[in-house]
Amino acid sequence: MAGVELSKIRKTFGGTTVLHELSLSIRSGEFVALVGGSGCGKSTLLRLVAGLDEPTAGEIKIGGRVVNGVGAKDRGVAMVFQNYALYPHMSVRENMSFALRLAGLPAVEVAARTAEAARMLRLDEHLDKKPGQLSGGQKQRVAMGRAMMRRPEVFLFDEPLSNLDAQLRVQMRAEISRLHRRLKSTVIYVTHDQVEAMTLADRIAVLRDGRIEQVGAPLDVYHDPQTKFVASFIGTPSMNFIQAAGLAGVNSPKDAVDVGIRPERIQLNSAPGLIRLGSGSVSLVETLGATALVHVALKDRELVIATPAGGAPALDSAAEAWTEPSALFFFDARGARVS
Amino acid sequence: MKGSRALACALLLPALAPLLLFTVYPALQSLWLSFHEMAPFSRDTVSVGWENYRLLWSSPEYWHCVRVSCLFTLYTVIPSLALSLGLALALDSNPWFQGFFRTVFLLPVSISSAMAAMLWLFLYNPTAGYLNFTLERLGVSGPNWLGDPRWALVAVAIATVWKELGFNIIFFLAGLSGVPQELHEAATLDGAGWWSRLRHVTLPILSPTIFFTTVVSIVNSFQSFGQIHILTGGGPAGETDTLVYNLYRDAFVHFRAGYASAQAVILFLIIFAATAIQFRIARSKAHYG
Repeated sequence: MAGVELSKIRKTFGGTTVLHELSLSIRSGEFVALVGGSGCGKSTLLRLVAGLDEPTAGEIKIGGRVVNGVGAKDRGVAMVFQNYALYPHMSVRENMSFALRLAGLPAVEVAARTAEAARMLRLDEHLDKKPGQLSGGQKQRVAMGRAMMRRPEVFLFDEPLSNLDAQLRVQMRAEISRLHRRLKSTVIYVTHDQVEAMTLADRIAVLRDGRIEQVGAPLDVYHDPQTKFVASFIGTPSMNFIQAAGLAGVNSPKDAVDVGIRPERIQLNSAPGLIRLGSGSVSLVETLGATALVHVALKDRELVIATPAGGAPALDSAAEAWTEPSALFFFDARGARVS
Repeated sequence: MKGSRALACALLLPALAPLLLFTVYPALQSLWLSFHEMAPFSRDTVSVGWENYRLLWSSPEYWHCVRVSCLFTLYTVIPSLALSLGLALALDSNPWFQGFFRTVFLLPVSISSAMAAMLWLFLYNPTAGYLNFTLERLGVSGPNWLGDPRWALVAVAIATVWKELGFNIIFFLAGLSGVPQELHEAATLDGAGWWSRLRHVTLPILSPTIFFTTVVSIVNSFQSFGQIHILTGGGPAGETDTLVYNLYRDAFVHFRAGYASAQAVILFLIIFAATAIQFRIARSKAHYG
């Protein structure tokens, strides 16, 4: 397996710059998720690593070797596409073995490696089927199998689960995680789903407008967001924001403009040492099973509070929101964290 | 139920009536006529049984026409498909030029066969034609394209390919636009070069379009008439005398309606058989969805 080093990558399409001097270092065997909203440049970055596009400026190294200008097939990478990109006229077996057959490997070896990958991905029964005869999850497994067959240095995943239903997505997430542990491969995984990123990755890189906002272990990014964007993007439900000026009894940093509080850190009852965030009426209660999301309409905004489902207040009842001082994140006017 | 069936028939009638009147009825009439002989300028007919077919079977001229038609199909269909596929691939990879050149290649399709044939008549003129003039400038002595029995069929085929090219290009471009970009990218990552991508990805996915254009081109080729009529009139020495041209001459010059009808029936069977064979091949080779 090989590490990936991205140095000052810039990518411009026409007059539009999609990636701005972006640098990222990925260790060998590491699973890194690139997360961000639509158009943030995460898929473009993946395509640059794959060799499907060339950067306008900057250097890409795979396994210590500069791969700028090196063809996609010679970079030692394999990619799993969002829409699977399976060859519709080939059987599962032919799809998986295509790269090896092109490389001219002996038929015996091709057959053995196809059988091994099919066994690992539980595709043995489907080897003679065409992609059109498979379910979404099976197609995704074939796409993963095809990538595995080449024994690449780096696996690239481009939103591989976004076309699957919620239940299948959870199953496939576990499958990818198992596969990574088993193959110990370097993985760059693009997703807009922060739950996927949090559950799968060793580290996540949050992208916004072609720049990396923060890189770190999932829980570090969650507990210690460096920008307001990262704080709002990571975590479900999203972090609440209120104006620092409206918060009484708190020593806000000098430049603080906004204060962020995670929904699960807000309480509906007062207790010693807690700060009062405000009061209002319950406008919505979303029961998710064990927990409930209580929406409390304050004077100028709404707070979302995650509470145990049993303790959720009734709709339209009066409610007060409280939190610990340590749960507050302060951000300046530019959205940078201040403390 | 009865009412809805009547309504369905009423709605179908405007489309069905011309079809029955101008296609099905003449076809059946032709079949009937092929077993009769008809006096010129008269509606009087005499039943002759299989005589017209027997005459055709034993006619060396007719077998010559079969050979010419097959050669004409070979000379037009293969170059037309190969050229249009090549040009469509080139245009598909250069979207900037596509709009302009698609129109350029489609222009010949939009003009009438007669006008196209007249244009080529001027180009092929052995003394004042631009083609031989250009060849002469290049140091090559051009043949008498339409007057030389060795070149006449090739010359008519070139004019036909030029006229039909745009039609096939449009279909191939439409087919190529249906090949997902991701498949090319996946194949590139799998190690496929341009040729491998074409062979293993593009062509299999394009196979239904290739099949369709092949069938249509073969049918069109067997039915070509206008350009042959204007450029060579079946000559020289019968070298461009195709089945359709021979049929036309027997029906409207020699006034042998029954004999010509038998030729029409045979031409129909040839085209039907060729199409059926292609469908059979396509069932195993063409990939649909």
